Amino acid sequence: MYFVELGVKGLVYGCMYAMMAVGLTLVYGLLRILHIAHAGVFALGAFIAVVVANETGSLALGFALAIVVSAVAGVAIYRFAYQPLLGHAAFVPMIVSIGIFIVMQEAFRMVFGAYGIAFDYNPYYTATVDLAGIRLNYVEIAMVVAATVLLVGFGLFASLTRAGVGWRATVSDPQMATSFGVDPVRVRYLNFIFGSGLAGIAGALVGLLNNYVEPTMGALVSYKALAIIVLGGLGSVRGTLIASLILGVVESYGTIYLADIFDRDAIGFLFLIVVLMVRPQGLLGRG
Amino acid sequence: MQRRFVAAALTAGLLFAGSASAQIKIGFHAPQSGPAAADGKSSTVGAEIARDWINEQGGVLGQKIELVIYDDQNKPDQAVPIANKLIGQDKVVAAVSGSYSAPTRAAAAVFQTAGIPYFSAYGVHPDITSGGDFAFRGVTLGPPQGKGAAKFIADKFGKAKVTLLTMNNDFGQSIADGFKEAGPKYGLSITKEYTFGLGERQFGPIIASVKNDNPDVIYAIGYYFVGGPLVAQLRAAGLKQPIVGAQAFDSMKLMEIAKEASDGVFVVGGMDRLRKTPPDLQKFEAEFKKRAGYETEAVAANCYSSVMLVADAIKRAGSTDPKKIRDALAATKNFPMLTGNLGYFNAVGEMYMPLEVTVVKDGNFVGTAVIDDPSILAPPGK
Repeated sequence: MYFVELGVKGLVYGCMYAMMAVGLTLVYGLLRILHIAHAGVFALGAFIAVVVANETGSLALGFALAIVVSAVAGVAIYRFAYQPLLGHAAFVPMIVSIGIFIVMQEAFRMVFGAYGIAFDYNPYYTATVDLAGIRLNYVEIAMVVAATVLLVGFGLFASLTRAGVGWRATVSDPQMATSFGVDPVRVRYLNFIFGSGLAGIAGALVGLLNNYVEPTMGALVSYKALAIIVLGGLGSVRGTLIASLILGVVESYGTIYLADIFDRDAIGFLFLIVVLMVRPQGLLGRG
Repeated sequence: MQRRFVAAALTAGLLFAGSASAQIKIGFHAPQSGPAAADGKSSTVGAEIARDWINEQGGVLGQKIELVIYDDQNKPDQAVPIANKLIGQDKVVAAVSGSYSAPTRAAAAVFQTAGIPYFSAYGVHPDITSGGDFAFRGVTLGPPQGKGAAKFIADKFGKAKVTLLTMNNDFGQSIADGFKEAGPKYGLSITKEYTFGLGERQFGPIIASVKNDNPDVIYAIGYYFVGGPLVAQLRAAGLKQPIVGAQAFDSMKLMEIAKEASDGVFVVGGMDRLRKTPPDLQKFEAEFKKRAGYETEAVAANCYSSVMLVADAIKRAGSTDPKKIRDALAATKNFPMLTGNLGYFNAVGEMYMPLEVTVVKDGNFVGTAVIDDPSILAPPGK
């Protein structure tokens, strides 16, 4: 049972990584930009959630605003930082993105204080449910449910709706899609709205899960999300999902069985190196 | 606004006064931006309170104290030029580090070469003092802290089975080393040790394993921002064992993050916030809250006392000659730091101070025991 519990915990982390990494891989697929500032959007979501929840007493309002503000921030980053640089070499927007991320972290520190903020009212991270001997807290369950609903919903949207098909068409061949009447600019906005909103939810949930929102919380997940999208095959949403879950589980077992040699963060990268040696194009990337 | 006005007035005063009222300059560096900025801010406010109170009392040797403060961003490559600047440009007679181990270590070598006394308020790495005779430390080293924790656990819980949760940096490892050395001597057995990184906030797999090991006591060595989530998750998982935390659990954020789950958590090397001695403690806590806007952090108390001690050494030296200040620092006996009574410094600048154990009670750190045993707490020599 103990062994299974480790795996379940790993899947929960995997869902968290997935919500963060999907936005990254979507941006990469569409624009070929490594959107490092995505981690700043993630932390922004967490800060909005905690500040609004503490001020108004309404966690629901906190989450709602976290999603809206994150989505707006993501769109703003695209419009004002990436769009003017689209013709440049890939490293140019990437460096800008790193800069935005650093500025965001320092801005959080100045605006919200360097010591971070805890939720005043958060019974959810200590309230647990026993599922056949495995104990999960409410936030962990919410994390799994949110990831499943949102990502399945996204999958249905992409395969069943007109806008979704247009999106996929733009990712695989922007020129052809444009000539068929798909507006690539609209697709990009949609992309940033969805990916950033997702990161905002993930940030707010991680804030609840730790009961602690700190200026540097984006940094913790940013490089892991980068590893995941490389692992999944850059730009592949399905690959990213699978890689997220695998990394979560590998880390979970690794924390216990390999921790004498590596820390948890190193385990993820070791796994990345091994996979890339065998499959340089990533798990589901095209060879 | 008022502070800004005071600062402006002070600056103006300085400009007009010129060299007429000479100042004794003490260097100070702490991380004021970047990930470690929180402790850097507390450190700086603590040091500034000491400076202001010393000056209100007429300063030292008839002169005012000036703190020359720099932001080291918690980076060694920033600390070295800062140390050079403090020595060459600002001509400080002594310096205090309100920073972590890495920048403090780097700067210590520069101050040693220049022959300027340097005081590490809370950086724990052994190398800070081992480079020479001009570096001192105002906090108990890791290994004696770990030994103290072993003694406390044995005194309180008998021959217990202990699981160690250790942060994998120099702070965590050095305390764990001391604990593992002393634990068996006190009849403690260590069931298992799990390590985690500084960035860890989710301990699911580790907690599932601790539950499986079922120890009598959990000894967690990490910072408060790791300790808060860890304690909450241990309790949420239904683990009811006593939790003993290391010194860096000592932050009011621990209670804010873990809420009721933090009740009953012990902190070895903590600071009793309600203590009546030394007499300036309660006054300091009130002043700190006024200036910083939050409750006293231990690092702030450390920096306050470090500046006080350096000023006291200058007074005892009767001179601003760095060599004489060094000798006076080395000769310190029974100086009342806010964190405890500093008994003496050994030959390498490590101090002896009894270790206070606090317990979280109604959202406060309350003293519960004091470990004052030279056989385990005596600072190691070279």
